[in-house]
Amino acid sequence: MSFDPADPSLRRRRPAPLGRREVLRGGFWLSVGLGASPLLAACGGDGGGSAQSGGAPYPLARPDDPVAQPLKDSNPPIEDGLDPESGGVLRILNYDQYMAPGVMKTFGAEHGVEVQVTPYTTYDEMLAKLRAPGESFDLVFPGPSVLSKMVYADLIQPLNKTYVPNLTNVWPEYQDPWYDQGARYTVPYTIYDTGVLYRADRVSSVPDNGYDLMWDEAYAGKIYLLDDQQEAIAMSLLRNGITTDINTSDPALVAQATDSLIELIDKVQVKANINAYSEVPEGTATVHQAWSGDAIAGQYYLPKGEGPEVLAYWRPESAAERVIGNDNIAIPRSAEKPVLAHLLINDLLDDKIGLKNFGWNGYQPPLTTLSAQFLVDQGYIPENLMNAVVEPSDFEEGLTFYEVPPTTEALWRQSWSQFKAGG
Amino acid sequence: MADPAADHRRTTRRLWPALALPGTLWLVALFLVPVYAVMAVAFSGNINIFGEPIPAWNPLDWQFATFSQVVTESVSGPYRAVWVRTAVYTGLALMICAAIGYPVAYYTARLAGKRRGLVLALILAPWWINYITRMLAWVNLLQDDGYVNKALGIVGVAPVSWLAGNPVTVVIALAYGYLPFFILPLFASLDRIDQRLLEASRDLGVGSVRTFLHVTLPLSKLGLVTAFVVTALPMAGDYYTNTIVSSSPNTTMIGNQIELFLLQGPSKNFGAALVLLLSLVLLFFMAYYLVLTQRASREAR
Repeated sequence: MSFDPADPSLRRRRPAPLGRREVLRGGFWLSVGLGASPLLAACGGDGGGSAQSGGAPYPLARPDDPVAQPLKDSNPPIEDGLDPESGGVLRILNYDQYMAPGVMKTFGAEHGVEVQVTPYTTYDEMLAKLRAPGESFDLVFPGPSVLSKMVYADLIQPLNKTYVPNLTNVWPEYQDPWYDQGARYTVPYTIYDTGVLYRADRVSSVPDNGYDLMWDEAYAGKIYLLDDQQEAIAMSLLRNGITTDINTSDPALVAQATDSLIELIDKVQVKANINAYSEVPEGTATVHQAWSGDAIAGQYYLPKGEGPEVLAYWRPESAAERVIGNDNIAIPRSAEKPVLAHLLINDLLDDKIGLKNFGWNGYQPPLTTLSAQFLVDQGYIPENLMNAVVEPSDFEEGLTFYEVPPTTEALWRQSWSQFKAGG
Repeated sequence: MADPAADHRRTTRRLWPALALPGTLWLVALFLVPVYAVMAVAFSGNINIFGEPIPAWNPLDWQFATFSQVVTESVSGPYRAVWVRTAVYTGLALMICAAIGYPVAYYTARLAGKRRGLVLALILAPWWINYITRMLAWVNLLQDDGYVNKALGIVGVAPVSWLAGNPVTVVIALAYGYLPFFILPLFASLDRIDQRLLEASRDLGVGSVRTFLHVTLPLSKLGLVTAFVVTALPMAGDYYTNTIVSSSPNTTMIGNQIELFLLQGPSKNFGAALVLLLSLVLLFFMAYYLVLTQRASREAR
């Protein structure tokens, strides 16, 4: 696999002149598409796996077309029975506030290391940090939509599951998931769906299509999108009934969805971040596109004197219209403490430690004993936020972000940057 | 026999260039090399599977599709609004800086007398606190139920949504953040004006207003231009002030757009192209400034 800049056949060609609108909208997509397809096809030979790779050199997993990520001699797992490393720093690359400090502290004390978190906001940012030359991380939390690419580029190493006996604690479907058959590179971390977290004390009535809250001028200046191009654009696709294919590669549909998001700028001065768990309880936001885990964690960020009843979560009634997802845990190839990383993974799949972590970050781990009913009975989920609970059956119908070819990613990215420019 | 004079000449012939060497190395290492790297990214014709441009280090490989797309979109596409916003916000913030900064600098240089040291220290005092911290303090003051709105309520003004992507807040924050940069060069130039010129003006029967307009203002013109340049350059590229007090696409400035491309995603070729474009625009103003100073020093001679 090589990208030789000197090879003229690999160079990006300039797109033929188009109408102004197309140039603005699709110019980037086209130009990338023209250049990238021969380039990617040229090195697709060793990708293997799925047939529908759509021009990507790596397999694109789908629930009905599962992928066993390739194991390579050049990227072996660690040996069995190694002693854990000690001293120094265990470096975790993760979303901010996504792992309980108590869990990290206990683990650090037990093994004589300092656990440090480097935060990211999006997978793009995570990949950039992971690939930065000279950087080393011991743990990372990728979702299925970036996994094949990371394996292909040797960013993560295969797991040695003799260190992870607790894998049997997770839902059976996640011991052998469609995006990583045989759990070769990942174990699941959390599950969630996407909806709208809002202040029940400020929002008088919720429309049938709760996403309309985001377009409601009554809450102007207090409306937030998730700062995530996939989540934001997908929400617009669904709200406007454009398509339920939240992985669409059709430039017209993505443009239509983006136009509707751009409306939000003038209409409600929309902002974007991924801190719904604190912005809504603290009152900075009235309406915030949010992950279900943010809704559950919100109770820990309420100001004194306010109860969880000021929070409410809306998501589409039917699971088939819901965006649902999961994050995984993986060990970067650059890990300096891979044995410790395996041990921490095993800890996180422990029922007790998993529960402690959930009690802090609000994101359900797919552990069999921590069923939704159990979490409610134990009082972890307030009565009025029961609809923020994710059930195994939701995954049979829900809409999931799949891994898409780089050209489709570029198309979404370009639309998102146009939204960020203010339209 | 060595001729001591020739010897001396030979030494100086080597000494002067040698003295310029550290500065030259510095310039090459920290200016020309990075600029070249930015060009290699902006003019890259290849992306990898992560969507990142592969830098084209050889100028023969340079492709200008991305750059021309960015230029087109800056002239008539989504970035036009961003450029206009940047220019308007920077312009307004500079005017506020001038309106506040000139009197302060004038007072400090001419009228503060014994207290001048104290006044200067007070102007510089905010620099003892980190810029971000000061901006975050504003965020607290400007909350919907913050002290600013409470104070406005006392005089009967309806509360303002300062932080909801409000352009006014961004302009005020920029002016606040960069005001000391504006005052200092202006102070230095006002301070340097020969007292005797002002006395002469008064001796000749000119009133204080006309003395200011015809003597002080023209003599401080260069200082004023320096203040504008020193403040405008960082303001035009600023992104964190905007992020802290707004972070809404409603107020996106060119710095925010560059940050989006360079730090939040892989499309660094777009970010690099915008960086080059911004540098070109700023270079234009820098050139004007250099012409002005050149002319001023010639006149002085």
